[in-house]
Amino acid sequence: MSNRLFIRRLRRDLPVWQEQGWLAPGGQQAILEHAQAAQRDRHFLAFALTILGVVLLGSGVITWFAANWDLMPKIVKLGILFGALWAALGISSYLSSGDRAPRTGQAVLLLGLILYGASIMLVAQIYHIDSHYPNGVLLWSLGAFLGAVLLRSQAAINLAIVLAVIWTAMESLGFGREVHWAFLVLWAAFLPLIHRHGWRGALHLALAGLLLWSWFVFLNVGGFWRLSDKLYLVQVFALAYLALFLAGMVMATRERLAAEAGVVQRYAAVAVLLAFYALTFPRLQTGSFGLFGGRIVREPASAMWVTLTLVALALVVVLALWHRFAARERQRPAHLVWGQLLIAAAVGLVLANVFLGVKHGGMMALGFNVIFFAGAVWLVAAGLHSDEPFFINVAFVFFALALMSRYFDTFWSLLNRSWFFMGGGVLLIAGGYALERQRRRLTARLKGERPGVES
Amino acid sequence: MSRVGGRTALLAVVLTAVLVGMIGMKQWTLTTGTPVLLETAPVDPRSLFRGDYVRLNYKISRLELSKLGGDKVFAAHDTAWVVLEKAERYWHAVAVYRHRPDAAPGQVVIKGEVRWADGRGSAFAPPVQARQPRFLVMRYGIESYFVPEGTGRAIERRGAHTPLDILVAVDRFGNAGIKAVELDGREIYRESLF
Repeated sequence: MSNRLFIRRLRRDLPVWQEQGWLAPGGQQAILEHAQAAQRDRHFLAFALTILGVVLLGSGVITWFAANWDLMPKIVKLGILFGALWAALGISSYLSSGDRAPRTGQAVLLLGLILYGASIMLVAQIYHIDSHYPNGVLLWSLGAFLGAVLLRSQAAINLAIVLAVIWTAMESLGFGREVHWAFLVLWAAFLPLIHRHGWRGALHLALAGLLLWSWFVFLNVGGFWRLSDKLYLVQVFALAYLALFLAGMVMATRERLAAEAGVVQRYAAVAVLLAFYALTFPRLQTGSFGLFGGRIVREPASAMWVTLTLVALALVVVLALWHRFAARERQRPAHLVWGQLLIAAAVGLVLANVFLGVKHGGMMALGFNVIFFAGAVWLVAAGLHSDEPFFINVAFVFFALALMSRYFDTFWSLLNRSWFFMGGGVLLIAGGYALERQRRRLTARLKGERPGVES
Repeated sequence: MSRVGGRTALLAVVLTAVLVGMIGMKQWTLTTGTPVLLETAPVDPRSLFRGDYVRLNYKISRLELSKLGGDKVFAAHDTAWVVLEKAERYWHAVAVYRHRPDAAPGQVVIKGEVRWADGRGSAFAPPVQARQPRFLVMRYGIESYFVPEGTGRAIERRGAHTPLDILVAVDRFGNAGIKAVELDGREIYRESLF
C-alpha cells in the first residue's frame, strides 16, 4: 500500500478507534504525524538540494551586485533590486500553483525573501540610511513572517525565526538591552502559525531561539558585577522552564496539542537542567565569584526579583494542578507522585534562597545539588515511562557533568595537582563507562518494549 | 489569478512598500529638513574607512555636559535630544534633553542615541553610584557614508588642515540625513533621489 493511501485510510479509521477507546488522547494526532513524517522524508533530499541551490544562487547574485555596484546609477540599482524580488516571487507563485513543482516553488520563495533582505541592506547603502541597524533585520524577519502566513511556507517561517534570533542578539549584545522583551512578542506571534500547520522543524527552531534569548538575558542582566542578579535570574528561569515542561505535560493530554508536546518538553527539560545545574555551584550561591580575583558580596533579592520569582512560582503551581486535573481519569504512575514532591522541594528551596542571605549560600548549594541529582533520576524514570530515550540521554549527560563539576569544586584545593588530574582521569574513565553502560541498558530496554522492535 | 497568485502579489506589494517607505522617509527628511553644516572631528584612522564607506565622527558626537544646558542624567542607549545653534559657519550643541524640547527660532533639535556615558561604571571598576556622566558619546544615524570603491582613500589621507564638513538635513521629528559632503569647502558628493 502506498504511503499516501495508508495516510488516507488512517484518517478514516483513527476517529473510530478513538471513539472505541483504543487510543489514548493525543494518540490519533501522534500517529498521523508519524505517518506524514515518513511521507515527508522521501522528498527531503530533493528539497534540501533545492534549498542549497537557492542559497548559492542568492549568494552569487549578491556578490555579483557588490562587485559591479559602483558602475550603476541609482535608478538601475533600484530596478534590479525590485525586478529580482518580483521575478523570484512570480516564479515561486507559478511553480506553487496547482501540481507544477510546489517544493521548488517554496525554495524560490525563500530566494525571494533572501533577496528582500539584500534589498533592505542595499537600499540602506544607496540612500545612506544609517539608523538603528537591528531594525533592518527586524523588517526582514517580519517580511519572511508575512511570506509564511500568506503562502504557508515552513521555509519562510524558519527564516523569520532565525532572523528574529539575530535581531535579539544584536539588540541584546550590541545595544545592551538587558531584557529584550520585544523578541518575546514576535516569538509568540510565530507560534499559532507553527501549530496550525504542524511545522515540527519550525517548532524546534522557535524553542532553540527561546533558549538563546534566555542566554542573552543571562549575559546582560547584572553585567559583570551584579552576580546576585544573575543568581536570582537563574532561579526565575529554572521555575519558568519548569512551568514550560509542565505545559508540555498538559499539552500531551490535549488531542490538538499532543503532537507538539514532546518537542516542548525536550527543550524545557534541557533548560531546567541547565538552570538547576548552575544553581548547584557554591560560588554562585555565596557570591564569591568575583572576576580578576575580586570578591563580590551577594546582595539580598530586590522587590523585583521577589515578584518575578513569585509569578514564575504561581505558573508552576497552576500548571501542575492543571495537569493533575487533565489526567485525573488515568492511573498516576509512581514517578508523577514523587515528581510533585520534587517540585515542592525545588520551589521551597528557590523561595528560601530569595529571602536568605549570603550566610546560608553553602547550605543552599548543597540543597540544590540534592534537587539536581534527584531531578536527573526523575527524568530517567519519566523517560522510561513515556518511552522517551531523549530524556534518559540528557539526564545522563547532565548527571556526568555535575559529578565532574563537584569533583573539581571539592578536590581542586584539597589534592596535589598531579593527584587531582590522575583522580579526575580515573573518575572520567570509570564513571563514563558505568554511566554509558547504564544508559545503553535503559535505552535498549525502551526499544525492546516497543512492539516490533528487537532489543 | 489563482489564490496562490493573489497572495504572492499581496506579499510583493507589501515588501515593495517597505523598501519604498525606507527611501521615502529618507527623502522626506532631506527635502523638508533644515540644512545644518556640521564639522567633523578627527577619528582613529584605523576605523575611519572600512571597506567602501567612510566612518564620520562629528564635534557634536561628544557632548561635555558641564558646558551644555538641559538635563544631566543619562545612561547608555537612552534617546537624547540635542539643541543645535548656528555659530559662524558650523552648527554646535547648546543643550541636551531626555525629552524633545521646543526649538527656539534659529535652533534645530536633532535626535540621537547615547552610545556611551562616562561615570556609569565599566567592566574593570565597580559601578559609580550617581548616573550623572561628565560627557556623552552620541550617535545620530549620520555616522557612515557609502562612497564609490577606492575613493574613500582620498578622504582618509586628506591633510590635517583640510576640513571635512557634512551638510545634514534635520526634519521636524529630529531625524537627520546627509545631504552633501564637502572637502576643504568644495562639495564632493550630493544626495539625489535617482
